[in-house]
Amino acid sequence: MKLEAKAFLLVLVVAAFMFLGTYFTMVVPLTDRSLYTPAKDAKPYTALEAKGKKIYEREGCVYCHTQQVRNLLEETQRYGMGEEETFKRFGVRALIQAPPSQPGEYVYDRPHLLGTRRVGPDLARVGGKYDNTWHLNHFRDPRSTSPGSLMPSYTWLFDRAGQPTDEAIALVAYIQKLGTNYRWREEGVEQARALQAKRAPAPPAQQSVPPTTTQEGVK
Amino acid sequence: MNATAVVHEDTSARWFIYTAVTFFLVTILIGLLMATRFVFPEFLGGIAAISSGRIRPIHTNGVLFGWLLAANMGLAFFVVPRLCGTKLYSEKLGLATLGLWVVIILGAVVTLASGDTQAKEYLELNTTLDILVTIAWVMFAVNMFVTIAKRSKEREQMYVSLWYLMGTLLWTAVLWIVGNLPVYSGVNDANVNWWFGHNAVGLIFTPMGLAMAYYYIPKSTGNPLYSHRLSIIGFWTIAFLYIWNGAHHIIFGPIPTWLQTVAILFSISLLIPVWTAVTNFYGTLRGKWAQGNYVVKFLVAGTTFYLLTCFQGPMHSLRTVNQIVSKTDWIIGHAHMAVFGAFSFFAMAGIYYTLPRILRRPMYSDRLGEWHFWLSFVGFLGFAVSLWIGGFVQGLQWMNYTISFLDTVKAMSPYYVVRLFSALIMIVAQLLFAFNVLKTARGGAQMTPATV
Repeated sequence: MKLEAKAFLLVLVVAAFMFLGTYFTMVVPLTDRSLYTPAKDAKPYTALEAKGKKIYEREGCVYCHTQQVRNLLEETQRYGMGEEETFKRFGVRALIQAPPSQPGEYVYDRPHLLGTRRVGPDLARVGGKYDNTWHLNHFRDPRSTSPGSLMPSYTWLFDRAGQPTDEAIALVAYIQKLGTNYRWREEGVEQARALQAKRAPAPPAQQSVPPTTTQEGVK
Repeated sequence: MNATAVVHEDTSARWFIYTAVTFFLVTILIGLLMATRFVFPEFLGGIAAISSGRIRPIHTNGVLFGWLLAANMGLAFFVVPRLCGTKLYSEKLGLATLGLWVVIILGAVVTLASGDTQAKEYLELNTTLDILVTIAWVMFAVNMFVTIAKRSKEREQMYVSLWYLMGTLLWTAVLWIVGNLPVYSGVNDANVNWWFGHNAVGLIFTPMGLAMAYYYIPKSTGNPLYSHRLSIIGFWTIAFLYIWNGAHHIIFGPIPTWLQTVAILFSISLLIPVWTAVTNFYGTLRGKWAQGNYVVKFLVAGTTFYLLTCFQGPMHSLRTVNQIVSKTDWIIGHAHMAVFGAFSFFAMAGIYYTLPRILRRPMYSDRLGEWHFWLSFVGFLGFAVSLWIGGFVQGLQWMNYTISFLDTVKAMSPYYVVRLFSALIMIVAQLLFAFNVLKTARGGAQMTPATV
């Protein structure tokens, strides 16, 4: 085997191998236009949301929170809306699954924040799940809203009087934007209503409607 | 050994090793702080610069670049001239590389603590530091390549460690530069991130670690290399197969399915280079386990952890397994087995073998060396096994959406306590290591100048 005796030739072959794998797994996806086409409801970040994303990056939120609902039933269920939530907010009882994350929802993310580890829950569909006050309380003292949470208290995002700084407000704006490049909450509720109207016309207020899965409609 | 023996200065090797050990202590203490917060979330809380989100990249970058890569660069400054039968091209250039490396690591600590980050895992360093790393790596590569080019006639046929080293010089440069280009967005940014992140392990730390193992296993046991042919197969398969795997970090995620499947196929095929290298190591270590001192123990354990971590890796890429363990603490245990259990063990063995030969005196204390090994070994097992069990349980709990996320976090608390306790043991071990290195460096009985 003479190749191992020729330093230059060896490095050249190694480089060729590296190029081959890189071409297929990196360059080909880079040229795939479908990965750059914005999702139907996708909107670029507002100035406030973009500022909030910078805070998210600065504080390393990505190390404990992913932003990808994986294409698995348990994740579309966990990160969707339960009956309690839909009834309280929309007056409908339904299980609405969160759609799996799609490439078109990320087109405005630079850098991406997909993450790899869930010390806390996934945040890809968190926008609209809680109100702004909940988020502010959660940043100031995570265990006041979520007993047992391991999240740090972000006291430096609040002033001495405990009022949120501009940074805290921007961060909340960014969090509320997550997952809204797809209006899945609204669409899911509309479909649940339509389904229920078909099954049980004019239900009395107390009647409970069987849980409905609307995955096929959300596609 | 020919009559006109080459006299090696080894200044660069020595100072790189001292620096690496120093950074190692700092970065593992940062790891300990984070592990503590998994048990006491408010521990040292309220200070932005040392909050877990900011020090996490200091721990990972610090261990990878401040300790492991620096240690391996130091060992390379020792190994390469000997394998080439010539002096190192330039000790001055080596020391300048070290100076720049120190500036980079200190700069990384300051910028990351202040929140100046590119927010992509293992690519956090800001643009200025990125450029400095590139310059430092070119300086290192020039030193290595020129030394290799000047190798003596009887070393024309290069030893396997040199192939791996030359591969690493190229792979690191390309990965670092292409991975850091600020041109990607969205899911492609994630794909490039993991093209880099996965290959940082596979094409920087793996080949560097294997280069060292291929040198130190035969040297410290006195056995010849078990098989030249296996080392050839191992090298070329790693060179061909590793680069295709990045996307296995985003399985079930928002990237094309074909890309995930390609990554899975190539991940499974990685068993070929791993098993050829491991067979070669075990074959070379054969018959030396019982009489082995702590240097051999580190090499045996490192080889075993390398085998295990590289069995886990391909298995994680399978969709059914990935569904459970991905995003859990199982992966943290896996990553520590690669970086600490396998490649840090190789580097520690290398340092224990190398320092006495550079300084021409034995290690300050062999008993401390034995303690270092056993505490590292036991501490690591407690650390990893607790995270594997806990992570697996949490992964299964996540598959039932009626268990609230908070309940799955609370279920982890006993495992986090065991992890913290085990991490303490690991850290005590490294304090003994650093103390031993320090005492050896500061003085002691001189050995008669050996031919090394």
